[in-house]
Amino acid sequence: MSGEKAHGMAKVERYYEDYGARARELKAQGQGVMLYLCSLVPVELISAAGFVPLRIRGSVHEPITKGDTQLETIACPFMRSCFDISVKGTYDFADGIIIPHACDSMSRTYSVWRYSLGLRYAHFINLPHTVRGASMEFFRSELQTFRKSLVRFAGKEITDESLAEAIDAYNENRDKAKAFYELRKGDPPLVTGTEILKILTVGMSLPVHEANELFDEVLEELGKRKDSPLDKAPRILVDGACVDNIDFIKLIEDSGANVVADSLCIGTRDYWPRAETGMDPIKSLAHRYLDKVNCPRTYREKVGDSYEDDLEARFGDIGSLVKAFAVDGVILYVYKYCDPFGFEVPAREAYLDQLGVPTLYLEDEYSIGTIGRMRTRIQAFLEMIA
Amino acid sequence: MAEEVKKEERKKRKTATEAASKIGSMVKAAIGGTVRAKEEGKKLAYSFIVCSYDEIIRAMDIVPVWTENYAGICGAKRDAQRFLERAESLGFSRSLCTYALCGLGFDQWREELGEMPPDAPWGGQARPDMMLSSGQILCDPRNKWYQAAQQFMPDVPIYDVGLPWPLYEDDIEISEVQDYYIAYIVAELRGLVKFLEEQTGKKMDYDRLRELVDLGERTWNLIWETYELRRAVPTPMGTGDAMNTMVPMVFMLGTQEGYDFFADLNRELKEKIAKGEGVVPDEKYRLLWGGGLPSWFALTDFNYFNSKGAVFPVETTYRMIEPIYRLDIPDTDDPLERLAWRWLGYWTYWYDRAKKRPGSEPDVERLIQYIEDYQIDGVVMHEAFSCRTWHLGLIWQLNQLQKIYRPIPVLVLGAGDKKKMERRELPSLILESDIVDISSYSEVDTRNRIDAFIETLESMKKNKADTTN
Repeated sequence: MSGEKAHGMAKVERYYEDYGARARELKAQGQGVMLYLCSLVPVELISAAGFVPLRIRGSVHEPITKGDTQLETIACPFMRSCFDISVKGTYDFADGIIIPHACDSMSRTYSVWRYSLGLRYAHFINLPHTVRGASMEFFRSELQTFRKSLVRFAGKEITDESLAEAIDAYNENRDKAKAFYELRKGDPPLVTGTEILKILTVGMSLPVHEANELFDEVLEELGKRKDSPLDKAPRILVDGACVDNIDFIKLIEDSGANVVADSLCIGTRDYWPRAETGMDPIKSLAHRYLDKVNCPRTYREKVGDSYEDDLEARFGDIGSLVKAFAVDGVILYVYKYCDPFGFEVPAREAYLDQLGVPTLYLEDEYSIGTIGRMRTRIQAFLEMIA
Repeated sequence: MAEEVKKEERKKRKTATEAASKIGSMVKAAIGGTVRAKEEGKKLAYSFIVCSYDEIIRAMDIVPVWTENYAGICGAKRDAQRFLERAESLGFSRSLCTYALCGLGFDQWREELGEMPPDAPWGGQARPDMMLSSGQILCDPRNKWYQAAQQFMPDVPIYDVGLPWPLYEDDIEISEVQDYYIAYIVAELRGLVKFLEEQTGKKMDYDRLRELVDLGERTWNLIWETYELRRAVPTPMGTGDAMNTMVPMVFMLGTQEGYDFFADLNRELKEKIAKGEGVVPDEKYRLLWGGGLPSWFALTDFNYFNSKGAVFPVETTYRMIEPIYRLDIPDTDDPLERLAWRWLGYWTYWYDRAKKRPGSEPDVERLIQYIEDYQIDGVVMHEAFSCRTWHLGLIWQLNQLQKIYRPIPVLVLGAGDKKKMERRELPSLILESDIVDISSYSEVDTRNRIDAFIETLESMKKNKADTTN
């Protein structure tokens, strides 16, 4: 890739390495910055309120130290890392933090976050656990409460029009993110899984219009690639919770496989679902975040007569990805102490077995310290499916 | 798979009250009762405690099978390991909730055999006709456990009841949000009733439900009054016993048996107070069990505290009641609405107090209230590795408590040997183990920690005595 063509990717590299740099710059210029955890916070509302949404990212390289003086080590290691990075001052420039009811590790630590960070604003969004009509109605009310709370803090009205505009902008962002995945369908793919994760992660740290511009730029660059940087190799899909550091994906690719798809946050789980347009924007957001983002924290009633039917209803999106990206094997990557994913592991394995896709289940600790152990398991798996 | 882990016979733990000593046989009878009920063709529902549906299932004549309770029994009998290991072999991580793992291991084994696993504790856990999950603001396993169990029991339907409450926020009053919370909870409970009607083929008798809700509310008031008797010095009942008396509180709500149990306990405590009879003859230290579920296999640790003259007059764990008359429940003839208001009122009970103290929050306020009401000398907590629900935030609560509340003024020697007033922090101890998984527990280590904590209390007591003489 020439220097000119690599301009967008160079920016991605820079923002990936200095995560949050653009938000920091904008804050220095007087714009508000709102931190958030997880894929279940409606960033459209934050954006419509005039803030830059900045997703909190952990670091697999940074030992958890200060965080452990305030939080139990039995929490999800990803969340612990996010907390540790935050209490060490990484995001001190932000105005506030928003945490959703995703899992116990987040819900039960909301007070800890709120007081320990000491930011001027904090809010908890209470997502219900089911997707029934009453749950949707409740969640819409809860989103209106969030809207009111943001308006009070921002001193700026969030009109339906501004919210609809934000929804459009994020839909555009999600369409562009999805377009990156088209570049992974070839064999070998034109982009690496590592590159994709960097791009998508950086996208979570920028104002949406800037993210859209950057994605356009990078799409154009990558679209012009004639040769793949990869060799033909087993095509892997990574399924699991939140991966926001490239190291695990890179480890798989360095072990002789191509990561061609994912069912992850940051990845298809949070980037692909669009919000409906042409309707009440709050209703649209409630539907997107509660129903369309297929996270195991949300209970989905059993569908069909057989257990197999139910598995298809719950995990059919993974099956579609396996087919669309001609996947040879799946790595199910779950963090220790993650109850929502942990209780689904046998069901996910059963579903993938039903599809006839070889699966490797790895439980990890969100730390570079486990990389040796992970490498051995991955290499053995790749040998098995080769 | 080490399924044949030898059971360790243990002596019955010594309780302070007669009432608590009866709990073991009550639970055994209840578990045996579920197996018999199944044989008699009654409908059984896997159920979780503290889900606001106790009176509803009782009114529908559905027999609850309390799955957390059964896992706790397996733990208490030190016979959970074989079920935990089986769950692990099925692909469930050992870092997950061990109540759920124990239950899943047991269920899979029972389904595989078509009968109870060999030597199942107290006759085993009966196969349910339905499973009642619960999506709250806490406890992911309550939302996932039964869904995972459907892998072995795909024919058993689930109803997942949404039971949220608003978290404490600085900028939002409960009054701003309570209407839609109540509306949602009521809708979820109506959905549950409809589901139960479909499963049983009978209609809900709302008059009966009203009576049971009334009984449940009277039971809450009675429990609160009874537990408040423990403020007495010496205290007539400790947390060790409360870990037994939680059974009628949360497994028998909406039953006359549950109410009568607390009426008996109330009488017994009053008699003990009148006679000056405490948990220990010479009460030296009054401790607050400030958070965390107990290690069910090591309840004798409470007796160990007692042997050092330390008692627990109060605990936050399994004190899942507040006086109904303080919950601001509006007049309504709808028993489901009453349940919804009770639910919301309980979980937001400490919010107003927290707003009045900068830097506080509801859980910390509750600790402060108990410290004052029960004349507490120190706080003990337990961190169970497998449960995020009740064990995240405890360190922070203690830190916050030390920041905003220093209740023990002592005189210490300052510059020039002049005595000056200083406020000592409340000493605290965090024990680490699990609720069910005994492999996480070291009796020697635990008791060493307790010894060190008692020494701290002793030293503080001595300092205090020296400075006041």
